[in-house]
Amino acid sequence: MWAAAVAVLAASAALALAQQTAGTAWISAGATGVLPAQAEFPTPTGRVGLLLSGGPIEMKGHPFFTPLGSNGRACVTCHQPAYGMSFSAEAARDLWKRTGGKDPLFAAVDGANCPNLPQEQEKSHSLLLERGLIRVFLPVPKNAEFTINLVSDPTGCNTSPTYGLDSPTPTVSVYRRPRMAANLKYVTNPAPRIVLKLGALADTDPATGRPVGMNFMADAREATLMTQARNAALGHEEAQSVTDEQLRKIVEFENQVYVAQIFDRSAGSLAEPGGPQALGPAAMAAHRPGVLGDNDYDSVFLNFESWKKGDASAQEQFRASVARGADLFMFRQFWLRDVTHINSIGLGNPLKRTCATCHNHQMTGQDLSAGFVDLGTTNYPRWTEPPLYSDARDLPVFKITCKPEVQPHPYLGRVIYTSDPGRALISGRCADVGSIVMQQFRGLSARAPYFSNGSAKNLREVVDYYDRRFDMKLSEAEKQDLINFLGVL
Amino acid sequence: MLLAVLTVVQNAAAQQRNFVACPFVRDTRTVPCFLAEYEGETYFLAVQQDISADQYPPQLLHEVLVEGTIEPGPRVCGGIPLKPVKLSVLPELNPACNTILPAEPGIDAPPMRRQAGPSSRQAPAAAPPAAPVRPAPPFVEREWKVLYDFDSAFLFSRDTRTVSQAAEYAVASKAKHIDIVAGRGATLLSSGKVLIEGGAVASQRAERVVTLLKGLGADPASVNVRVVSAPAQPDGKTDPENRVVSIRVSP
Repeated sequence: MWAAAVAVLAASAALALAQQTAGTAWISAGATGVLPAQAEFPTPTGRVGLLLSGGPIEMKGHPFFTPLGSNGRACVTCHQPAYGMSFSAEAARDLWKRTGGKDPLFAAVDGANCPNLPQEQEKSHSLLLERGLIRVFLPVPKNAEFTINLVSDPTGCNTSPTYGLDSPTPTVSVYRRPRMAANLKYVTNPAPRIVLKLGALADTDPATGRPVGMNFMADAREATLMTQARNAALGHEEAQSVTDEQLRKIVEFENQVYVAQIFDRSAGSLAEPGGPQALGPAAMAAHRPGVLGDNDYDSVFLNFESWKKGDASAQEQFRASVARGADLFMFRQFWLRDVTHINSIGLGNPLKRTCATCHNHQMTGQDLSAGFVDLGTTNYPRWTEPPLYSDARDLPVFKITCKPEVQPHPYLGRVIYTSDPGRALISGRCADVGSIVMQQFRGLSARAPYFSNGSAKNLREVVDYYDRRFDMKLSEAEKQDLINFLGVL
Repeated sequence: MLLAVLTVVQNAAAQQRNFVACPFVRDTRTVPCFLAEYEGETYFLAVQQDISADQYPPQLLHEVLVEGTIEPGPRVCGGIPLKPVKLSVLPELNPACNTILPAEPGIDAPPMRRQAGPSSRQAPAAAPPAAPVRPAPPFVEREWKVLYDFDSAFLFSRDTRTVSQAAEYAVASKAKHIDIVAGRGATLLSSGKVLIEGGAVASQRAERVVTLLKGLGADPASVNVRVVSAPAQPDGKTDPENRVVSIRVSP
């Protein structure tokens, strides 16, 4: 079936993706033609699969693929089917070379390190080109429990008299990866009325008043796909307005997109009968959301038993490695410690558990609860950035000072150095500094680099970070098993 | 008679342990134990469970306020057990509280339903679980209490369950009055020192509970709030009960 899908895509490529730039699967804003219901796109380790559960989509005039604002961007600019409905830094670099930096992806508003930089220069877009980052600019919340001061500003945006902290509209610029706009029935799965991480009510859908999952966007600032689409159009696309009908069509499209790796060069087909049931985009479409997988009988990514009894062939050996990686993810215990909104909510610090404790939502590996935690990727000293002074440091650093009367950050206290305050820029809470919503684990091969700040160039660097962060003492073989496991998701 | 009463009171006081210390962690073959030392003796505080538990463990990098009574019987995980015991994670950082001890033969955690890895399927219950009981008439005046960690207004999972019950009852009974009384505590330590909670904590507790009640459907017009800003007089025995928000629902 998938081979047929590839053929369908190939046959329709000239028509369907007429405005693709030659040689790549990049879909430019304003593309015409049909995006087929099933497609496969090459990734560094194989192919990522795309499935549109509602059938093929005519792109011409569709608001997801059509620029709605003044800068030529559309939703598809940052949510590319060929790149797991996100994009990779490598794809951005390739696009820069092919278009001379003229593609709307590099729009000054947030595709540059700062709008006031010379836009024709590659270095003005270094964070996008090197890390795949988009500038996110937010005001300091009025109710902030902290003061925020700039420590260093490699991009110059936070010190800009027009765009910075001391500008007429004081703004904090942070830089984050676009999240994959796929598998969203999982990501937007409604939460219980009360968020256990906050001991307070969940945000609500402004249209219905119902509680929402608070599990998409790095800082959970958007309640629904509808509000996200509206603000993305007004912000990223610099639209003056957007109609309810356009928003409805965008959300309708997003809700039918499923993405997962479908072929691995070493493992072979990931969607063959009798294989692991969680793999491939069809499994993503078929499964139900909202299932807690932190258990030994209905696990996060179901089971890989059929791959455990491998023979001596290279393919079977690789599959056995993937299965070991799945077991490590589920069962390898370590001291999970100093993570805000995990250790601080009554579980104790440290907690002797496994990866699946936090990454527990079946099929995606997000958290079934509101997913923001301070793993440490953005906060000194556990951040992903160089531990010592470095001229090469490219992200801003802020000093957060908590007011004396508020609860401090549970594990960093009252003075925190951070490259991205995360959820705290929305909630205003000191305890939330550095808390970032977990991302889903699907289609990873198509959309490096990883972490919200694009700091991990590959899955090895992701695994290495966790190994250091939690002193897991993973062996080389265990690391490779985990990398292989993550790579087939 | 008077002497006997005095002796009983003295014995009770002798069994009470109120102290602030760094907790430390003892690994075991199963889940880790949390312990603390006070005056040369080791006390067992808690064991790792999950958020459905009634007793939450303390946290490294923070001191813990222990308010407990020695429970007769064998040591648990190498420490003298305290029961009842109230553990409060103190908010400020203390980097010195950072000790994890390895597992030792002969030191075991008490049996727990939830092990260290992912959860396992529990044995099927003898009878199917009872359906949730919805509040039903006749409605009478009822009261719920939320007890807090020292200097904390955070509502843990166990606490939000309590507030949810109160809200559900208020909605079902169409409560005319929901009276909230928020308190601030002080604790008499075994050393004789007194700890007093921060001045704003009672109002913070009230605010969070009221917000939750209203969000869960309680009629805002029926909610009356009283904040008792003065800390209760500590007695070294019942002090945790003063760190409280009471919710009285009157149909």
